[in-house]
Amino acid sequence: MTTLPKEVTLSIDGLPVTVPEGTLLVEAAKAVQTDIPVYCYHPKLGPAGLCRICLVEIEKTPKLQIACNTVVAEGMVVRTQGPKVEDGRRAVLEFLLLNHPLDCPICDKGGECDLQDYSIAYGQGMSRLAERKELKPKAIDLGPTIVLDDERCIVCQRCSRFDEIVTNERSLVVKDRGQRDVIATATGAPYRSNFSGNVTELCPVGALTSKTYRFRSRPWDLQRTRTTCQQCSVGCALNVDERHGNVLRTMSVPSDDAVSEGWLCDRGRYNVGFYADERRITSPLGRFGDEWVQLSWDDAIELWATRLEEALASAGSASIGVLGGGRLLNEEILLVRHVMRALGIANVDWRTGRQRQASPGARGGTYDDLENAQAIVTLGRPPSQSAPVMDLRIRKAVLRNGARLISIGAHPASSFVPATHLARLSDLAGTLAEVERIAFVWDGIDAALGAEAEAALAKLAAEGKHVSVFVPGETPNARGAEALGLLPAGGALDTRAQLEAARGGTLRILSIFGANPVLHHPAGAAFVREALKRVPFVVATDLFLTETGRLAHLVLPAKAAFEKDGHSFDLTGAVHAVNAAHGAPPDALSDGEVMIALAAHLGIDLPSPRELADWATASPATIANGLGDAALCGSLAPARDGAAGLRLAIAAHPFAGGGTVYFDDRLGELRPRPGLLLSPATAQAAGIGEADLVDLAAGGRVLHDLVATLDGNALEGVVTIVDGLPEAPANDFGEGETVTLGNVRSSRALAGSVV
Amino acid sequence: MVVKVLTEGIGEVDLCDIEIYRARGGYEQWRRAVTALGAAGVMDATNRSGLRGRGGAGFPTARKWSFLPANGRPRYLVCNSDEAEPGTFKDRMLLERTPHQVIEGILIGSYAIGSRHSFIYIRGEFAEGYRIFKAALAQARAAGFVGERIFGSDVTVELTVHRGAGAYICGEETALLNSLEGRRGEPRLKPPFPAVKGLYGEPTVVNNVETLAYLPHILRNGPEWFASVGPQRSPGFKVVSVSGHVKRPGNFEVPLGTTLRELLELAGGPLEGRKIVAIQPGGGSSACLFEEHLGLSYDFDTMAAHGTMLGSGAIVFFDDSTDFVKAALALVRFYAHESCGQCTPCREGGHWLEVTLERILHGGGVESDIDMLLAVAHQLTGINLCPLGDSIEPFLASVVKRFEGQFRSYVRTLPVPA
Repeated sequence: MTTLPKEVTLSIDGLPVTVPEGTLLVEAAKAVQTDIPVYCYHPKLGPAGLCRICLVEIEKTPKLQIACNTVVAEGMVVRTQGPKVEDGRRAVLEFLLLNHPLDCPICDKGGECDLQDYSIAYGQGMSRLAERKELKPKAIDLGPTIVLDDERCIVCQRCSRFDEIVTNERSLVVKDRGQRDVIATATGAPYRSNFSGNVTELCPVGALTSKTYRFRSRPWDLQRTRTTCQQCSVGCALNVDERHGNVLRTMSVPSDDAVSEGWLCDRGRYNVGFYADERRITSPLGRFGDEWVQLSWDDAIELWATRLEEALASAGSASIGVLGGGRLLNEEILLVRHVMRALGIANVDWRTGRQRQASPGARGGTYDDLENAQAIVTLGRPPSQSAPVMDLRIRKAVLRNGARLISIGAHPASSFVPATHLARLSDLAGTLAEVERIAFVWDGIDAALGAEAEAALAKLAAEGKHVSVFVPGETPNARGAEALGLLPAGGALDTRAQLEAARGGTLRILSIFGANPVLHHPAGAAFVREALKRVPFVVATDLFLTETGRLAHLVLPAKAAFEKDGHSFDLTGAVHAVNAAHGAPPDALSDGEVMIALAAHLGIDLPSPRELADWATASPATIANGLGDAALCGSLAPARDGAAGLRLAIAAHPFAGGGTVYFDDRLGELRPRPGLLLSPATAQAAGIGEADLVDLAAGGRVLHDLVATLDGNALEGVVTIVDGLPEAPANDFGEGETVTLGNVRSSRALAGSVV
Repeated sequence: MVVKVLTEGIGEVDLCDIEIYRARGGYEQWRRAVTALGAAGVMDATNRSGLRGRGGAGFPTARKWSFLPANGRPRYLVCNSDEAEPGTFKDRMLLERTPHQVIEGILIGSYAIGSRHSFIYIRGEFAEGYRIFKAALAQARAAGFVGERIFGSDVTVELTVHRGAGAYICGEETALLNSLEGRRGEPRLKPPFPAVKGLYGEPTVVNNVETLAYLPHILRNGPEWFASVGPQRSPGFKVVSVSGHVKRPGNFEVPLGTTLRELLELAGGPLEGRKIVAIQPGGGSSACLFEEHLGLSYDFDTMAAHGTMLGSGAIVFFDDSTDFVKAALALVRFYAHESCGQCTPCREGGHWLEVTLERILHGGGVESDIDMLLAVAHQLTGINLCPLGDSIEPFLASVVKRFEGQFRSYVRTLPVPA
């Protein structure tokens, strides 16, 4: 790894090129800005040698060679132009266009199509085909997200190779052969993958299109802005393509090697329909009794400021609570903290869900550390559910570098790569003897388990092993909220304590920033609702009237991720720029702008923009906010663990969580239906069959009508349900508690995967 | 002159019975290889025999073996019995009539290269050959010739029989390996070559049935015996499948260097009152020779020198009753149908030629179609991932050029439909 690769010098079109040994000719040509056309080749998928468009002439080799699978050699003389190469390219292009429908005027790819571009550059403008072109299906429904136009397909196999090489899910294949070949799933089942949208970008022609973008726009009418995805904590770079104020699609950033490597998950790519959803809040709303009244921003801020001043005067800052912040940008987090500190309010906590900790502690790693680890251990909810693109790194580490993947506890890794599963953290000891580089991924939920893990990792580190830790955030900028100090300091109230204080009648004001504790806090929906009802004044900023917002007295229309500028941390602590790509509804303000308005009303001085920017872009390590995590992690109710019976595991899901997914009608097919997942043996013992409807109960709390899915990868004796589904909220239940299943009825409903 | 080496005993005794095969010296060379010669001895004998592959490419067998890297990885020998080249039916006979000879050859070859687990990939359509071979293998296993600790030594050779699913392309060695691994049967991109990264990613040799079957005979009679027959660079014997317009089509084992005319005579000569006008000497992928070439020596190098190839040793004779437009369409349709479709020129070009020839045959052709046939066939050649696409041009171009009048008669005499 430390020795530099040997270099090789060759000549391309008369220009000398020096590249590392082993470089492919197609890549070497980029060094001299020579365009070698490619269709099947892709830098991240490697050569396939199928399309034959990258033909070049190599001196002393009689036949034209494909540049994509030719490794450079010392003294090699290559010509990428000239009559012989041009004849070869023209031949291949004539073949490619032979039965191609040339429906560019109605093709989504028109204007950004490699077949179009190369045909103009290297083609002959006319076909000699005298017969009618082959007619093929124009709109094959491949699954919930993708449509295939088989006439346009040039069978480059980038899609099926992506599904094999990168995701290892292997559902896409080429069916039939010769002229009759067609992209399909091996089983005929719909193509379902959390990464399906990537195939539309890989497709060099207009064969694979997204249902959400099909026939919506021409590429030259789109305005592109680069930003950072705020759907989860991975921090993928993202291009937002917008037209006339509408977000039409999102695209990956191929050069984003440090984070996404140019891939996006379907949540990040497709959950953009909510921007234009008519249910968005477009002005401040005041609730007076059961009646909602539109307010001006001035009235809204004044109402809030007045209530704060009254409470401070009559009951002091201890009577005021602040929740949320994990969905805000760093600048907004800093402004919330600044204003609250200025008012002396210390009851601040970003943790409105299950997660207790978003920091990896002293052993935080980079995505490169993850990729280069020899063993990857996941504890709790796996990243496949909560940080999908990070899971692609894990798959890469396993598939290409031979890393071992080990999951511990009630949640299998679900990564489509070989993995081993251990019941307890203590089982890990001894299994890592041969391993030098370990990556440890923890969901940050069970603090006691986290402490146990830290002790185990400290021991491994003491043995000289390189240990890197990753904690995917439950919310996109959980890391920022935690690092920038949205935590209760010095004995102040954390979320649960605030809710308890509310129930006890001592909390006078609760301000909630982009959070939905009714759906997410593990105290349970009933508990949180009861608490909120007892607070005299609840303010919530959000995009929609959520379960929590409906109980607030003042709801403020917020800006969504593509509508604001700032920065966020990814889960590794790297800072990324977030850029406004899209005009917000006229009356929406970002939480930061709301804080500025509130500060103005209250006469609070704000940090200078420069100061704000410095903090917002500092690394978590240098922020050193002085808050120890250990002291803050103790207040979670102990898991209600039963002695026998079925143990409950509560999983995340890329398309769960309510919020922006719930208010995006186009995602209907992708949202998990309320259900439960069981191993076949566990199901059999409980008398449950595939697709049966089941009620799940524990201590008087019941979830009705869950659809059962049997999965060979599920653990014995474990029932898994999905967190954050508004129609079946799981936050009344605790991870690891004993549950009973009853009222089993057979159902005609088709079972879909719930995790 | 017909010889009897591989064909010895066929049609006279039941060589599928291991006792009969053994009574004629069967498996003795396997014993000798393990107990006396050693792997290096087998390798040396094979090298000195000058044996070249009998599957189509004619590559020197010992040299192919020598490409395996000495990297300590497991090695595999795969016997290619996916015989599907148009006109070829020699391996089928060997499998069905003398399976033990094939098994013995596979075992010797496996031992020579150090394959502890070898495979035979049998063409899907060979239902009978598959059944017979499985039964013979069971006998050989029961007799202790296959498996562990052979002849009390520490030599292990396992042999797994795999039956294909009926794709011509799986006769191409890397498509065969994909199919054997349970993947889609389509050729792999090379490099890496199978010798470096073959079956399951390990060093692999793929040898034809007939090639391997000659090994026991080379050991028994000595490499010089084999090398002394036929042309120096193309020595030994060959089972030639002769078909087409002849009185007695069949397999004939001859020394390489036998003339095409002698082979025609072995097959009974032309049909009554007919004259041979074209000869396809090496399977569907080879260019035609013509009546003036009947005196040529049938060997690898002479065929290559005349712009065609010996290939798998399948000769099809065409007499003066042949409609070469129909013949061309039959072969082009075959290749278009059997194209795996993964690479562009073969997938699109083959289909294009097929529909063009159909149109010509059905009266829709125009003069310029003849040149276009040649141009398209040429432009799809030499730029494919595997040899299948390149197999279309040789026959088509050779008959269009030779029998241009036949092609022109279709476009001249028939009216173009409205």
